Amino acid sequence: MSMDLSKISEKLISGDVEGLKQMTEETLQTDVNPGDILNQGLLPGMDTVGQRWKDGDMFMPEVLRCAKAMSGAMDILRPQLAEGDLGNAGTMIIGTVAGDLHDIGKDLAAMMFEGAGYQVINIGIDQPNENFVKAVKEHKPSLLGMSALLTTTMPRMGEVINSLKESGIRDQVAVIIGGAPVTEEFAEEIGADLYAPNAGSAVDIAKEHFEKKST
Amino acid sequence: MKMNQTINRSTRFRVLSEDQIEQIFYSALEVLERTGGNIYHEGALELFKNSNAVVNGNNVRIPTTMVEEALNFYPRKITLKGRSGKRSLHLQKDTVTFGTGSDLPFTHDRETGKRRRTQYKDVKDAGRLVDALSNYDFFMSHGIVGDAPNPQTYDRHQFMAMLEGCTKPMVLTSVDGEGLEDLWRMGCLIQGGEEEFRLNPLFVAYIEPISPLKNDRSAVEKLLFAAEKKIPAMYTPCPSSGATAPATIAGMLVQSLAETLLATVLCHLKNPGMPLIMGGVTTLLDMKMSTYSYGAPELSLASAANTDISKWLNLLMFSTGGCTDAKVLDEQAAAEQMMNLFYSYLSGANLIHDVGYIDHGTNASLESLVLNQEMMGMVRQFGKGINTDDDHLALSLIEKQGPGGEYVTTDHTFEYWKEWYMPELQDRSDYETWKKNGSKTMSDRVREKTQDLLDNYQPEPIDENLNKELHKIVDDADKRHA
Ligand code: B12
Repeated sequence: MSMDLSKISEKLISGDVEGLKQMTEETLQTDVNPGDILNQGLLPGMDTVGQRWKDGDMFMPEVLRCAKAMSGAMDILRPQLAEGDLGNAGTMIIGTVAGDLHDIGKDLAAMMFEGAGYQVINIGIDQPNENFVKAVKEHKPSLLGMSALLTTTMPRMGEVINSLKESGIRDQVAVIIGGAPVTEEFAEEIGADLYAPNAGSAVDIAKEHFEKKST
Repeated sequence: MKMNQTINRSTRFRVLSEDQIEQIFYSALEVLERTGGNIYHEGALELFKNSNAVVNGNNVRIPTTMVEEALNFYPRKITLKGRSGKRSLHLQKDTVTFGTGSDLPFTHDRETGKRRRTQYKDVKDAGRLVDALSNYDFFMSHGIVGDAPNPQTYDRHQFMAMLEGCTKPMVLTSVDGEGLEDLWRMGCLIQGGEEEFRLNPLFVAYIEPISPLKNDRSAVEKLLFAAEKKIPAMYTPCPSSGATAPATIAGMLVQSLAETLLATVLCHLKNPGMPLIMGGVTTLLDMKMSTYSYGAPELSLASAANTDISKWLNLLMFSTGGCTDAKVLDEQAAAEQMMNLFYSYLSGANLIHDVGYIDHGTNASLESLVLNQEMMGMVRQFGKGINTDDDHLALSLIEKQGPGGEYVTTDHTFEYWKEWYMPELQDRSDYETWKKNGSKTMSDRVREKTQDLLDNYQPEPIDENLNKELHKIVDDADKRHA
């Protein structure tokens, strides 16, 4: 059986979006457990992709093609998954804070998380603080991502975290922040859980955090 | 008398042929008719609705005739005057000037060697260096005044820091339309009123669309205000090839030209004859590190091509050079900065900005400003080309000195060696002398020169009364936004 699932990994690594969708659907017709498709097929595939990127053997257009394939397969698979199959890769809210119109970095981060199996809700640029809080209340994500590219808009991230506290939902969600002027130090200052200097490392950083939490 | 002569008074460099420029221009017009751009500003949409453009929600598509008409109304010459009173910046076709970039969040701290947040004092210090160093023609803030009391008014404080440090003409970023209005009012105070500012502008306003093909409210607000008051402004796309623009340079140029042309039409609808300048930081998104590159050779190539297009359109050009992705001022920094300085200069762009940027547009370095002074000098020398008049051909001298003669002692040498470039920081000594003088590297010399200037150079102070009036505008803004 695991023979078949490594084919899924390979399809994913080759970035064949349509092919992977088809293969996911076909595999679902057999008696393979949907959770196994994810955990023994798709996720190991994305792990390889991530590793190759880190090693400099794969580049962003290729990685994003794989992420797109992953996300397409996940759309088919998600309704079939049992509670717990998803592990930590749950829902993520991501957006750029109020007054800030930079979007490409945030979008890249969103795509990488989609590629890791997250259901990503990208709420867009220039989002007032309350929209982040509202989205967290509504979607109960495991992860909240905020992006700021301006010194002048960075403080919004701390304000959102405070609002989460005031609403009593700070503990329900891990907060990850990023953007060119943002630093590890700043993340600590405002009480964010995680900081990622780039989209590539963000998924690993989140994964590590959740693994640590569950042990 | 010799007939039919072509004498190159400078070097010549061009990337695109006229036919290629036309291809790109026609394609940009096609983009405006077929795809259009999105505008998030009611007033601007209203202007388009009352014209021959087609407005659909926020989307505006523009017929070619409107673009062609608008293009007839932009100046081919703008002259700026610094607060020193010199009309020093003559922007016209193929006249090149150099200046810094703006708003860097971090500064390379010269004492700790570490990166820290930029402050008011850093902006002023950068201004002092730019004022002191001859190859800088205009000043952008280099860093951002991170310690300003309020992010909504930081632009006014930043302008004050710039004015305290530097007397040269400037390019200013602003928070929004209201911010630009305050900066303009400050500029009018300095130049002696609104009319004088119009004839002798102190600064150009820096404004950007959001690639691909979007125009946000505050950018449009600034653009319309600049059009209303005839403040020189550039609308400068910052596309990253492969991410916010096609991965091909041609495609990126088409898209950013469409963005520029949309602005030419908008400003024309608002108030014909505004001094609008074409711009562009046309570069790529690095596909390994996902960073916006300030050192890629494609930046130089695309920028030079963009300048070719601007000249063909009779628009002045704001371009990019002297910048790098290197985290510190190392060999990579020197190589990249030199490359993009060189080609932007040869292309004949009018305002070349971002000189001194390190760490892909996030980190400020005063030493980088000093290093670039030398590199700009070298580039300018190259650009002078070769004089071939009789004196320079030196026929009679060659005859006079004859086979086996020497030139060191001749009057001709005494006169003409002065045309050579005189290095300030480049070291051309022999090994033993270099050793005796302390085996200093370029970094050592740059560090010393930077320290020397910071210790000793003071710009002409701002008149006391004027200073008070300027501060009043800043204070009022802070009160309004308290
Ligand atoms: C392109 C660009 C723009 C474009 C944006 C277009 C777009 N579609 O996004 C435009 C032209 C619109 C723009 C506008 C402005 N910009 Co701008 N911009 C840039 C530039 C050159 C590159 C940004 C970029 O795209 N980088 C590539 C992406 C992929 O990288 P990234 O965004 O950093 O994201 C990566 C990481 O940071 C991280 N990440 C980012 N977000 C998140 C979120 C999470 C959750 C995670 C995990 C990770 C993560 O992952 C990403 C991928 O690795 C930067 C300089 C720079 N090098 O950062 C300036 C820069 C950010 N801009 C700057 C400025 C000043 C402005 C303006 C204020 C200029 C003005 N006065 O008009 C306006 C502001 C408009 C606004 N209100 O937001 C300054 C900020 C200075 C400061 N001290 O705050 C910078 C640093 C340049 C400079 N020195 O002047 N800009």
